[in-house]
Amino acid sequence: METSSSTEFCLHSWGANSYGQLGQGHVDDQPEPRFSDITALQHKAVRTLTGGGGHSVVITANGEVFVCGQNNRGQLGLGHIAADITTLQICPSLTQRVSKVACGWEFTICLTDSGRVLACGSNAFGQLGVGKAVSHSADLLVVESLKDPVVSVAAGLRHSLAVTVSGCVYQWGTGLCSHAKRALSPRPVPPHLSSTVPSLVPGLDQKNVNMVTAGLAHCVCLTEDGDLFLWGSNKHGQLTSTEPFLSSPTLVKRSLLGGEKVVLVCSGWTHIVAQTESRRVYTWGRGDYGQLGRQTCHHAERQMIATQIACGSEHNLAILGGRLLSWGWNEHGMCGDGSQSDVFQPQLVSGVRPLLIGCGAGHSMAVSPVTTDSTQNSATTSETSEQEH
Amino acid sequence: MSVFHDEVEIEDFEFDEETEMYYFPCPCGDRFCISKEDLENGEETATCPSCSLIVRVVYDQDLFLSGEIIAAPSESKLELIQS
Repeated sequence: METSSSTEFCLHSWGANSYGQLGQGHVDDQPEPRFSDITALQHKAVRTLTGGGGHSVVITANGEVFVCGQNNRGQLGLGHIAADITTLQICPSLTQRVSKVACGWEFTICLTDSGRVLACGSNAFGQLGVGKAVSHSADLLVVESLKDPVVSVAAGLRHSLAVTVSGCVYQWGTGLCSHAKRALSPRPVPPHLSSTVPSLVPGLDQKNVNMVTAGLAHCVCLTEDGDLFLWGSNKHGQLTSTEPFLSSPTLVKRSLLGGEKVVLVCSGWTHIVAQTESRRVYTWGRGDYGQLGRQTCHHAERQMIATQIACGSEHNLAILGGRLLSWGWNEHGMCGDGSQSDVFQPQLVSGVRPLLIGCGAGHSMAVSPVTTDSTQNSATTSETSEQEH
Repeated sequence: MSVFHDEVEIEDFEFDEETEMYYFPCPCGDRFCISKEDLENGEETATCPSCSLIVRVVYDQDLFLSGEIIAAPSESKLELIQS
């Protein structure tokens, strides 16, 4: 989506806010959309919104990175772990323009315009891709061993993924290792599930992957041909398989998706939301908090037509005809309807008509054009959002 | 008691040696926690300080039993048994 850079926009946020991840200058949960303080953005256009366990990242069209929220492991990339940050601040040390970002539990993976991958935050599980030498880093570290330019990055709870320009998928971080051990024993755990530096994911030769995303302990990739490959934990049926764990990428049968190609895929911690070429949205995986937007569980099922989707850990946002919908877990108000009751069918979030959406684990964000009552807090927006959780 | 959000193996928790607490991410952004002492006492519910969700910790209690310190039998007693 392209919008005029002369149009003014505002950032709304709502949901869990224990660490100031809503960027509103306080740490109280918000059950309805409220303005974030975007003074630091100085009216720059926004390209991407996303969040991690307790932090948020905003990327501007000119490649600057703004952060707020939890900083206990240096996941904000500010060069210190002194305190959590409750209003958006610029990441000052960045000398390269950032185009995409993925936030994991307590870490952040940035992708620069030139295709380099930078990582900061917790490295307790090797999720920064720089080996085991550091336990965490408050400075963005270059993932040196990725030699080819990268086009897409993803961050799960404790693991990371990257796709290179040639369509190869790399994985690092040991977040899936214990799951693999329990499922595969006495067979050994494959290297890509136990490496602390990028390790080539096998079984995707000639598949031309162009996008990755990740859940709590599973991995998702989307090929140029519109096929989805999934691997990792299948505890909640999120891999559409009967096996409890899949160590190699496994194709999702197109018959489950109305015979159509997939054009966009997002992942919560244990559920997956995919959009097909006719813009229909399918959901599968865990659904007990309403994550699937319908009552029945496990199998992929058609939902609606949407233009953008974002997944939190157990909740979702979608833009439909310029309006914002939400569904799923709502204990902290992340569905934005003012209540704390889980939302089992996609429902309208009133008062917000967003152009961009993004989620952290338990929080939600949206960039909307400024209305007359929101001129105090404005920025501009451009391009589409990339969603991680 | 509410329903467990999940069952999580103890090896998937992060242990903080200073506080002797085990932690696992909660979907709200905070962390489920349980103390080493609670595990030693057979407690299996890790709670999140920020929300209602709880998880069941899957672990072998025998490996967590610290118990009381029992003195080794003295030599004389050993002799008595042998005699």
